[in-house]
Amino acid sequence: MLATLATVDVKSYLPLGILIGMAVTFAVANVVMSKMIGPSRDGPSKGIAYESGMNPVGTARKRFNVRFYLIAMVFLLFDIEVIFLYPWATTFPNLEAGTSEGLVWLGRILFFLLTTIVAYLYGFRKGVFRFD
Amino acid sequence: MIERIGYLWPEIVLFIGACLTMVIGLSPNADMRKQTGLIAGVSLLIAAALGLATPAAPTWAILPGIMPFAKPLIALVGLLLLLVNIGSVDRDEEAAIAAGKPFNPLRVTGAEFYAFFLFSLMGAMLCATAGDLIWLFLALELTSLPTYVMVVLSGRGKKGFDRSQEAGVKYFFLGALGAGIFLYGFALLYGGTGTTQFVEIAQHFAAHGMNPIATVGLVLALVGVSFKIAAVPMHFYTADVYQGSSGGVAAFLAFVPKTAGMISILLLVSTVGWAAGQGSLPPAIESLLWALAVLTMTVGNVLALLQSSLKRMLAYSSIAHSGYMLVGVIAGPGDGSFVSSGIAAVLFYLLCYGVMSTGVFAVLASLERKSGGEAVEVESLDDIKGLCRSHPWLGWSMVICMLSLLGFPPILGFFGKVPLFTSALGAGHVVLVVILALNSAIAAFYYLRVVAGVMIDPESDSGVRDTGVPARVIAAVISGVLVLGLSVFGNVFMGSGEKAAEVRRFVGQSDEHDTDSVPLDEHSEAAEDEHHAVSH
Repeated sequence: MLATLATVDVKSYLPLGILIGMAVTFAVANVVMSKMIGPSRDGPSKGIAYESGMNPVGTARKRFNVRFYLIAMVFLLFDIEVIFLYPWATTFPNLEAGTSEGLVWLGRILFFLLTTIVAYLYGFRKGVFRFD
Repeated sequence: MIERIGYLWPEIVLFIGACLTMVIGLSPNADMRKQTGLIAGVSLLIAAALGLATPAAPTWAILPGIMPFAKPLIALVGLLLLLVNIGSVDRDEEAAIAAGKPFNPLRVTGAEFYAFFLFSLMGAMLCATAGDLIWLFLALELTSLPTYVMVVLSGRGKKGFDRSQEAGVKYFFLGALGAGIFLYGFALLYGGTGTTQFVEIAQHFAAHGMNPIATVGLVLALVGVSFKIAAVPMHFYTADVYQGSSGGVAAFLAFVPKTAGMISILLLVSTVGWAAGQGSLPPAIESLLWALAVLTMTVGNVLALLQSSLKRMLAYSSIAHSGYMLVGVIAGPGDGSFVSSGIAAVLFYLLCYGVMSTGVFAVLASLERKSGGEAVEVESLDDIKGLCRSHPWLGWSMVICMLSLLGFPPILGFFGKVPLFTSALGAGHVVLVVILALNSAIAAFYYLRVVAGVMIDPESDSGVRDTGVPARVIAAVISGVLVLGLSVFGNVFMGSGEKAAEVRRFVGQSDEHDTDSVPLDEHSEAAEDEHHAVSH
């Protein structure tokens, strides 16, 4: 096993090793150093939940309307759409001019956009956009 | 990558079909909603026809002939599964709407169910098209993710829905675990070879041999994918999930993820084994698969003996059948003829298994009984006793499919199993063949128990009746007829299975970027020429 391990190019994993080493060092150093040099004061206001500097109100176990999640998922559709549009947009100008390639690529992206519209149509029929 | 679209027409058709069902299935018009099953069926038929016409032997494929076999197979068994699944969801809701209840799109799930049904079949087809690891991962996930939802949606009534929810959650979490394992394996395989393309991985192995990172990667990938085929040690979910979902969805789970997983395993081991210019698999991988196959067969069959619930019994039997198919994977391509090629045997067995297991589940899905005011699916052997007398069509279909699952001589399952035996013997795995034969004998006990119960015993008095969905009975009868028909005319499919199992081999070359490949029959000549050149 060790003999065959030598044939693997271990050097190419060196950056990965350094990265892991740095991550571990950073985490451990932060904990140890704040323990060593940080002032340790405790009190009731330090024990409360952190709400971005505001005073926390109400209980954390509040129920949200499920529509928030539906809207979030519809929003994700936009995200996915844009992610796929970027590589398409950067490739499109590099296509050979004067051939039918451009039309084919346009057709493909239109097909893709059409599928997103189907997803919206589905959401619409399911009543995601109906607030009552 | 772009030229691959030419191989993807069946998948594109299924995708369009899924989009249509998704929108039309939510129509406020009840007649429109009823068309979803029809749309799914038509798109499956078109996909099967297009799949048959798929051009073979592209340069990026490790098993160049698999697509024209696997795609029509998935589409046509999918058509049978569709018949079994008609009425799996929305039956009570639609009846209530017909009786005057207002239509609420949030309560109707037929649109999602049929769309996910098509998406999952599309994923299984994409597995056959896979030419690299990332594609394979996405295809496997596309096969699995819809099935989690289908399991949950398939529960009927309050109690049934509770059970299907539990089954769905179990299936989802264990499926995510399996996906994590094989994804990690794929990553290590990439780390060990520097490429995700199957062809390039095979060339790398041919040139440099195995390395430990790639070996670990391949082991993890195989173990992870064995979740999809429900092989021991990743089988724990099977019985619970099959029991919790409706008969139709259980039939779906028994065929579609198993086919996708089996095709993936064939692609992965081809990459490292015969494609890398070796006669068989590397020892580490072979012993892993050997252990998986023996454990899967034995555990599956022994646990199936102990079940009182029919669905649990069939779940364990499906585990055992995965073990049988792994024997074919170990045997490898042999000399390429049907009797010696384990790959052809596996592909042909997938066809046999798809038809006969769908038939058995279709019979179960066609029957129901009253329990506490709710109609529930039949559960135990007592429920279906004397079925040949009370429901002759269903009863005899059950008998035929059960005997076929057992591998009873003149019926389809036997012809499926013989090539597994001959290919393993040809590759010199005598012990494995003996274990396979012993397991077939164990399996006889529980299959024959059902056959005897259905044929001989007096009719049960538990009030079993037809569910009133004719499509399911039709599916059961078609499966029975297909099992008998394929027993006679199966040689046609054996021929296409042999063609589908054609493998590519790459001669060991120092330059790993060389894309030259030598087809199977030319390989020995080329090697001989090289040998002559050296000796002169």
